[in-house]
Amino acid sequence: MKPQPSFLTPQSTVNKSLPFTMHIDLNSCFAIIEQQANRLLRNRPVGISAYDTPRGFVVASSYQAKAKGVKLGVNVEQARAMCPGIVIMTPDPAKYREAHRLFKAVLLEYSPDVIAKSIDEFVVDFSKSEALKRRVASSSELVASSGEKRETSYQLLHHQAMLRIGRDIKKRISESLGEYVTVNIGIGTNKFLAKYGAGFGKPDGMTLIDHTNLRDMYKDMKLVDLPGINARFRARLRIAGIYTPLDFLEADLNTLKKQVFKSINGYHWYMRLRGHETDTVEFSRKSIGHQHALSHKTTDLNELERLLIKLCEKTGRRLRKNNLYAQGIHLYLGFAQDSLQYTVDSLQSGYGQKDGKRFNHRVQDVGPASFENMHNIRSWHHGEKTINRLYSTPDIYEASKRLLHSAEIQNNVKLMSLTVFNLCDWDPVQLSIFDIPESKTQGQKSRVGLVDSDIRSMDVRKRTSDAVDAINNRYGEFVVTPAMMMDMSGTILDRIAFGQIRDMEL
Amino acid sequence: MREGLHEPISVLAGYSEKDKLFKPLIVTWGGRDYRLGKIDFYHKTKQGLVTLHHYSVSDKDETTYFKLTLDGVNLQWTLEEYMMAGENQPHYA
Repeated sequence: MKPQPSFLTPQSTVNKSLPFTMHIDLNSCFAIIEQQANRLLRNRPVGISAYDTPRGFVVASSYQAKAKGVKLGVNVEQARAMCPGIVIMTPDPAKYREAHRLFKAVLLEYSPDVIAKSIDEFVVDFSKSEALKRRVASSSELVASSGEKRETSYQLLHHQAMLRIGRDIKKRISESLGEYVTVNIGIGTNKFLAKYGAGFGKPDGMTLIDHTNLRDMYKDMKLVDLPGINARFRARLRIAGIYTPLDFLEADLNTLKKQVFKSINGYHWYMRLRGHETDTVEFSRKSIGHQHALSHKTTDLNELERLLIKLCEKTGRRLRKNNLYAQGIHLYLGFAQDSLQYTVDSLQSGYGQKDGKRFNHRVQDVGPASFENMHNIRSWHHGEKTINRLYSTPDIYEASKRLLHSAEIQNNVKLMSLTVFNLCDWDPVQLSIFDIPESKTQGQKSRVGLVDSDIRSMDVRKRTSDAVDAINNRYGEFVVTPAMMMDMSGTILDRIAFGQIRDMEL
Repeated sequence: MREGLHEPISVLAGYSEKDKLFKPLIVTWGGRDYRLGKIDFYHKTKQGLVTLHHYSVSDKDETTYFKLTLDGVNLQWTLEEYMMAGENQPHYA
């Protein structure tokens, strides 16, 4: 192997700039907010589950429950077995949204650059923070020192100021959200190190990582302790002889680029581990969707259609709120596993495809039994681009209903998910310069290939949808609804998604 | 999402200049008066034009938890959740 150029050796590329990035993580968010609200739950194991039925999944658990092994993804039945006496509650999204709002308001007191990474995580950039400048300036006696000592002192001063702000934030969050709420804080030269630092000392820790302690912080840790490294990546790294975060840090750029990640990601990891910012790109929204787990699993098309229209309404509301329209739609149906039937048509290996529709097959762990048993149909999904703009709920419903009717529903549906994609900003419709009465324009194509009456009808549908949304905003969700949604209030539950928060109020 | 009990309840409330919050002080429930302690969590929701004010609070003895909701338009109070010491589950549906 060729020797690495000196500028690529680990020590020479470690970012030695001052740490300005802070990652703040509200610990066990949903559970701790419930414990804050209800004193009788404090210091008790609490699990928040989408449904409190035995098969419902725990989406958050308190520290007391985590200590007994109740973690994300455990079902209610398992949680009760692991931790007798656990309090299982369904989520209260409005409460968590308020906590998120209060959390953000506190952070904005310290810096204008606050990014919500999820409902319970924020990244704050202090490079333009007046609060930081004031704190650094307040210790003028250290700034006044000179030469090399001055450089060292300034660094120390900066570290102290960041840590002091961190302590202030913890205090302010306790005052604002409540005394039981604690946060973990990580400070670093990039978002990765800040997030990694926030993982130490839970439930009330604060860790600063820069070039002076970088190697120490990687020591004695596991690869999966690094944010963004899951079991799959760990397996890839192990193949390349990388077993610990320190091995990862010391791996040369070529190994990461060409052997482990086989892409630019290798370079990004190389830089990220050394404290350089690589996560600056904010990806634009590619799709909008909503999903629903059916409490009453069914194959009844009428029932599924009624749920579908509510998913369409939720999806459409988000689309319209962002002034977007879509030109693609995707429907996913997840089937219950307990009443599986098999079709020879779908028995192809791995992912099957038939008439353009895709099936996912589950390969059972019971060994090479019968051909049928090897490939159970677990789900069905299909997506397609549309010529028409999807904007109003009826438009989305028409397109999704067509997909639903093309699905082969052989098992009870337990999950339905609708997504629209190919999102575009709703540009003002180009009106014809020759505003001829509609009767004279029948069949006459405009420049964009649409008949003028089509454009008008599209415009009318847009305005109608906007008006219905305005009514619902004013008088409450689902005040005006399609007739099919009558008697359906509350069927599609309010949820808070994992990951980035984009539509907090819907 | 929790459905809530929507049970009408008698509440004596007052405004605290210190907290800048209108808050429940005493509830009468099940034929008994409960003097309430500090508000542990407060949040608002909107149902169209109606603002609902939600108060999560326990009594001063910390033996009973209540989630009380005030309808900002008709000024009616409802009990949405409760839990008593020794119970293993709050009641909300």
